[in-house]
Amino acid sequence: MTAPVRLRPRATAALVISGAIGIAAFGWPLLLTPDAGLAHGTDAPWIFALLLPLVLAVVLAEISEGGMDSKAVAMLGVLSALGAAIRPLGAGTAGIETVFFVLVLGGRVFGPGFGFVLGNTMLFTSALLTGGIGPWLPYQMLGAAWVALGAGLLPPLRGRAEPVLLAAYSAAASLVYGLLLNLSFWPFALGAGSTGLSFQPGGPVVDNLVRLLAFSLATSLGWDIGRAVTTTVLVLITGPVLLRTLRRAARKAAFDYDRGRRAATSANASNTSAPTTPDTDSASAIVIVDPSRSEP
Amino acid sequence: MIRFENVSVSYPDAPGPTLSEVDLHVPEGELCLVVGRTGSGKSTLLRAVNGLVPHFTGGTLTGRVLVDGRDTRTHPPRELADVVGLVAQDPQAGFVTDSVEDELAYSMESLGLPNPVMRKRVEETLDLLGLADLRHRPLATLSGGQQQRVAVGAALTAHPRVLVLDEPTSALDPGAAEDVLAALHRLVHDLAMTVLIAEHRLERVAQYADRVVWLPGDAKPVAGDPGEVLAGAPVAPPVVRLGQLAGWRPIPVSIRDARRLAGPLREQLGPPPTDHPARHTATPSPAGHRTRNGRTAPPADTHTGPDNGTPLLRAEDLKVRYGTVEAVRGIDLSVGEGERVAVMGRNGSGKSSLLWALQGTGKRSAGTVSVNGTDPADLKPGPRRRRIGLVPQQPADLLYLHTVAAECAQADRESDQPRGTCRAALDRLTPDIPDRQHPRDLSEGQRLALALAVALTPRPRVILLDEPTRGLDYPAKTRLAEALHTLADEGHAIILATHDVEFVAEYATRVIVLAEGETVADGPTGEVVTASPTFSPQTAKVLAPLPWLTVTDVATALATR
Amino acid sequence: MNRALHPGAWWLWALGLAAVGSRTTNPLMLGLVIAIAGFVAVTCRQDTPWASSYGVFLKFGLVVIGIRVAFHVLLGGIGGPTVLFALPEVPLPDWARGIRLGGPVTAEGLVFALYQGLQLATLLCCVGAANALANAKRLLRSLPAALYEVSVAVVVAMTVAPQLVAGARSVRRARALRGEAVRGIRAVKVLMVPVLEDAFERSLVLAAAMDSRGYGRNAGLPTSTRLLTGALVLGGLIGLCVGAYGLLDGSAPTVAGVPMLALGTVLAVAGLRTGSRRVRRSRYRPDTWGAREALVVGSALVAALATVFSPAGLGGSALSPATVPLEPPQLPLLPALGLLCALAPVLTPERKTP
Repeated sequence: MTAPVRLRPRATAALVISGAIGIAAFGWPLLLTPDAGLAHGTDAPWIFALLLPLVLAVVLAEISEGGMDSKAVAMLGVLSALGAAIRPLGAGTAGIETVFFVLVLGGRVFGPGFGFVLGNTMLFTSALLTGGIGPWLPYQMLGAAWVALGAGLLPPLRGRAEPVLLAAYSAAASLVYGLLLNLSFWPFALGAGSTGLSFQPGGPVVDNLVRLLAFSLATSLGWDIGRAVTTTVLVLITGPVLLRTLRRAARKAAFDYDRGRRAATSANASNTSAPTTPDTDSASAIVIVDPSRSEP
Repeated sequence: MIRFENVSVSYPDAPGPTLSEVDLHVPEGELCLVVGRTGSGKSTLLRAVNGLVPHFTGGTLTGRVLVDGRDTRTHPPRELADVVGLVAQDPQAGFVTDSVEDELAYSMESLGLPNPVMRKRVEETLDLLGLADLRHRPLATLSGGQQQRVAVGAALTAHPRVLVLDEPTSALDPGAAEDVLAALHRLVHDLAMTVLIAEHRLERVAQYADRVVWLPGDAKPVAGDPGEVLAGAPVAPPVVRLGQLAGWRPIPVSIRDARRLAGPLREQLGPPPTDHPARHTATPSPAGHRTRNGRTAPPADTHTGPDNGTPLLRAEDLKVRYGTVEAVRGIDLSVGEGERVAVMGRNGSGKSSLLWALQGTGKRSAGTVSVNGTDPADLKPGPRRRRIGLVPQQPADLLYLHTVAAECAQADRESDQPRGTCRAALDRLTPDIPDRQHPRDLSEGQRLALALAVALTPRPRVILLDEPTRGLDYPAKTRLAEALHTLADEGHAIILATHDVEFVAEYATRVIVLAEGETVADGPTGEVVTASPTFSPQTAKVLAPLPWLTVTDVATALATR
Repeated sequence: MNRALHPGAWWLWALGLAAVGSRTTNPLMLGLVIAIAGFVAVTCRQDTPWASSYGVFLKFGLVVIGIRVAFHVLLGGIGGPTVLFALPEVPLPDWARGIRLGGPVTAEGLVFALYQGLQLATLLCCVGAANALANAKRLLRSLPAALYEVSVAVVVAMTVAPQLVAGARSVRRARALRGEAVRGIRAVKVLMVPVLEDAFERSLVLAAAMDSRGYGRNAGLPTSTRLLTGALVLGGLIGLCVGAYGLLDGSAPTVAGVPMLALGTVLAVAGLRTGSRRVRRSRYRPDTWGAREALVVGSALVAALATVFSPAGLGGSALSPATVPLEPPQLPLLPALGLLCALAPVLTPERKTP
């Protein structure tokens, strides 16, 4: 299987560094030391809310620097549309979250690079369609991108183990995603130090962690568990069928024909000429065979 | 302008080459029509012109294709975008943006043209295609014909030398098709554009063609003068068939040419017998392709109209309203056993809404429907489909399993019929569909047959079909008409919604014309279709004022005289 | 002049209002911000699907205030002398680290919680106004060219999403024709497969259309430019990373904080710009910045500056009214006058063209 979005070393490096920045952006209430400049102002949430869009833009630009093939872009568009279209189905109903299983399956079939971009485009599209742009959007995008990227990095199991693996991953990823988003919203929602569940700037990490968990418990735990359960159930029930459908689509799409052409011309050198030499005789052939099709 | 030199194309998973040894030259300023049966490689040929085959689709192409001197081996589609404009079959599926102006500008943006040039070309194109009033509209709100014209416009703004269109009118009603074709005609005449079109609805396009290329599928393609080439092909519009039958030379492709030659035939034929006895006893057609063997007309054929026979389906004052839009405004309808009714009308005239409301699954705002005395909307979906079946516009919507066999087995199960019922129905419609095939990989005709077989499995007495002839070639349509004849003869009542006037002439006993949700005409086919130039078939146009409808009728009349 | 305002201008305007909202807990100021955002949103919005966003965000804001107050009542926090009533205190185990459940509820704490909730609601209203005013699709067109592929994917998604919904509807109807009314989780499977298959076929048709229309005609960048882009981008990211952690850690040298963050931002933006050169395409009717955009952004800037730099005598001291002891909020003069400037967009009415 060819990956529709390849991660070159530079893009990988950018992803790793952005990951570190992301951890700071999500986790600053826990990481803050008492004597830090940010500890007493109310600026920290703002700085990170403005910083994250830039980081996301740079990383996405770096991933697509090699140029994304039209099939990959169209597939990204269609899967993002799917997520954006079914997202409202769950909104309002406690914890029914229908987006995550598309992210997990998409990342699984099309690879981590595609998954990262998919998480971003899907949440962004959804926000554009519903008028839900706000400071929380970059956090959601980054979180969703990590979920899909992680799904792409799972070990290559096949058969019956695969849906189980994906379901377990979905459950864990949904919970972590919920916790991360709570973490980002926490200082906004309750203001530093103003209630028993507010974060204490520069306080001991364990204390703040306990408060965060209590805050989650009090606000969104129901939703988070609902999300984990729906995603897991959806992955278990629809996983086998949808994985087959997605893989059929990936095979038919035959991503990245330029690379396919190179592989095919070298494999079939006996009866083909390289398409880049225009002055060969007119009986010559161009062979562009998708490598995935030539697999048995 | 376009030159194919010994071009063959094959795909790795196909048994044989899709195109073999095509030599073709289309000079500048010509409108060239590509014809052939479904699966004969028309789309492959069109897509080879701008390099999508093989750069995009994969596969092997031998020989070479030159467009305006550029070799597609060294120029992928994006590098040919300024020379070739491609308009795909379903315009909506190819839209990248969502408003008219943005869509028109998209190609130019990709080519990196400066803003003043883009502004100028967008204005020109809006005028050329009559889209100026629609410039700010979202694409999704346009009608099919408007969307198709936007798609043509979007290809034109890059100022290509060649325009390639794959079935540009197949989804359009006759009026909208005329608009699109008139626009193309203007491009060829005024701007010396080279146009390559593939189309199944030859009766619409053939008259505009300077040259026809026929892909037989298993032999070398034949190119040449439209009349001559079409006469030899299994797909030809009725006017060509009529010309062959009457022995006219040169074989006409336009109504105008045919009428000039038709005087003697009109005199020889005289008016058709009033009850059309000939219409249902077909003889082998001039091209020699298979048609129905002679069958006597069932009595129901002559007793059409709401007053006769035992009505199987009766609707009174049927209304369908979506929000503020009244799709159907009070239709009364009564259809008897053995009747074959065609519902015609512009896109958006309420045909689909009517069918869905009759079936009971769709919305009904007011009125009554009864099928053999029962209102289908009161039934659960299971019992409902045993009384009245519907094949939707996209037959694929009915299908969701991975093989034909699985679909058939599922249909038997959900209809409580013995195993093999669906498969038997399918084999009667179209034999030789492999069990293991994926329903999505079937041809349009095969997929329609499968959907129809699924709908027939619970043995309903009334069958509704929504636009069944979309994407079917002439032999497939003949086959469908035969199948529907047989079903009607067995006592079914059949109603179908369609734009296809030639098919209606061949198939229907009664025509209902809708406009804005109201019945504007209802009567025997002969009377209704000859009364309006839009709905009149080619044979009727050529032989007017005599109300002959199909070539088969004429042939039978000539043979018996 | 019937062109709609640049969407970026609206976002900057809303950001200016939000900056005011984040600097004050004075309910009079906050109410003024909400009113101004609402008035401008209702006056200047266009006939778009997002036009009603402001109302949605306003309701959301009310919910947030409710939650904030409920938290205070249940969990306490800021205390004060005026005890209104007392809830029974639930003893929590040791590991709860000082979280208190129940207990006395004071007027001071309640007012403080109200102020804070109102502040958050104000920020939400600013965001809601921006959503209602800025045309999101045109915002997409203003993304840097280096994000071209991603933005095309989003454009495609926005076009395809309604088509998918329509497709799902027709598949669902068709399923009823086969005698099943599908519900629940099984429906997902039965409906998803045809819809997805359809969507994927569609994506291939679309990709072919994009290719035929010149998608991906990118300028090959010289190796030196590519290396420069890479260095700028990675350098920028490292700078941002170091800066972020520097800000969080008080023991880090000062250089590792704000200066590093600024340097990283400059490098990253420069990297985006050089990277944009690889995309060789032009824009049809690009959104431009003109006098009206300047006016809109300037008005919000005045409002923000008037609040941030307001001297104590001219209202700066009234921005955060004390809650212990409770005192009635005063209207801060200069900030309130500055805030009124943010009404300026109303003076440039746009015609309601999409």
